[in-house]
Amino acid sequence: MIAPRVKPPETTSPDPIQASPLALQPELLQAFLRLYGTLWSHGEVDQAAKELARVRNARLVDCPICKAIRFAGARREGLTEETLDLVHDDWRKGPLGAREKAVLGLVDGMVGDSGALDEAARQALLAHFTPAQVVELAAGVALFMGFSKIAVALGGLPDEIPVHEQPTPVVPPAS
Amino acid sequence: MYRRGVSWLPGTSDGPDSFASAFALRPNLETAWRAFATLFWERELVPPRLLELCRLQLGRLHGAELPDLCDAMRAARAARDPAWNEAIDHWWENPAFDPTEQACLRFAEQFALDPKQIGDADAAAVVAALGDAGTVAFVEALAILDGFSRFARLFAGEDAR
Repeated sequence: MIAPRVKPPETTSPDPIQASPLALQPELLQAFLRLYGTLWSHGEVDQAAKELARVRNARLVDCPICKAIRFAGARREGLTEETLDLVHDDWRKGPLGAREKAVLGLVDGMVGDSGALDEAARQALLAHFTPAQVVELAAGVALFMGFSKIAVALGGLPDEIPVHEQPTPVVPPAS
Repeated sequence: MYRRGVSWLPGTSDGPDSFASAFALRPNLETAWRAFATLFWERELVPPRLLELCRLQLGRLHGAELPDLCDAMRAARAARDPAWNEAIDHWWENPAFDPTEQACLRFAEQFALDPKQIGDADAAAVVAALGDAGTVAFVEALAILDGFSRFARLFAGEDAR
């Protein structure tokens, strides 16, 4: 376990986000929740594809909390643990479909190679997603990566957290 | 105005740069993202000089830099010392950067490459300089700079490499 780097706010809120260090910057937190809710609940890409990307990123960055969370919407769309078990470093050799592999190719290119994507990976994406959907997936990967790195960098998380379901993020009401 | 799209992404013909052209395909997402990303500069949640150093450093690391999104970012870029472009190659020993800036640049580089390698002493140096809330703002700014420098690289194509 990485030691916590900052002291979280003093609160009695049962909401784990409001009790986390992110709540030390309330305006940023609200703006982020609006952004994340927009990505997940007002997007053009199905939630299963975004969840696949999120979990691949979580495993690459090795973020305990991101690896443990499963969003309910993706499960409702049929994304199973058996499929997610195939999201490992040798995913290219496994039985995932071409659409899923196109998503994972984007994640690996962004997280592992600074956003460099070869022509085959680009064409694989465009074979399964519209240009607008490609942009949404890429923005999602950038956010998944950034916020999983925040969780790691701020420390304070146990090394292992059981897999558990959470509601799909929505845009919170304006405060 | 100079306009260019993204060579490999159909439908991206308008915009001041390829980053904006790509993001324009998802307007509600771009609006929510911009509202978040510009807060760091507009509210000065992190010292602007420090943000610019990290924007420059992570842009160099990834081969593309987060473009200006608001007047505060344009002003911060205009205030950059041109000498940074060379000095940042040796930021850890260059007197152009004070100890706080060196500590934050060390943290930023580790954040981008492997945040698990950020040591307790490296993190403590940042917290000592920025405080708890300032450190949270700083790491969130790094998340945007790191993630969306890569996004810029993805949609910039060969000319950014």
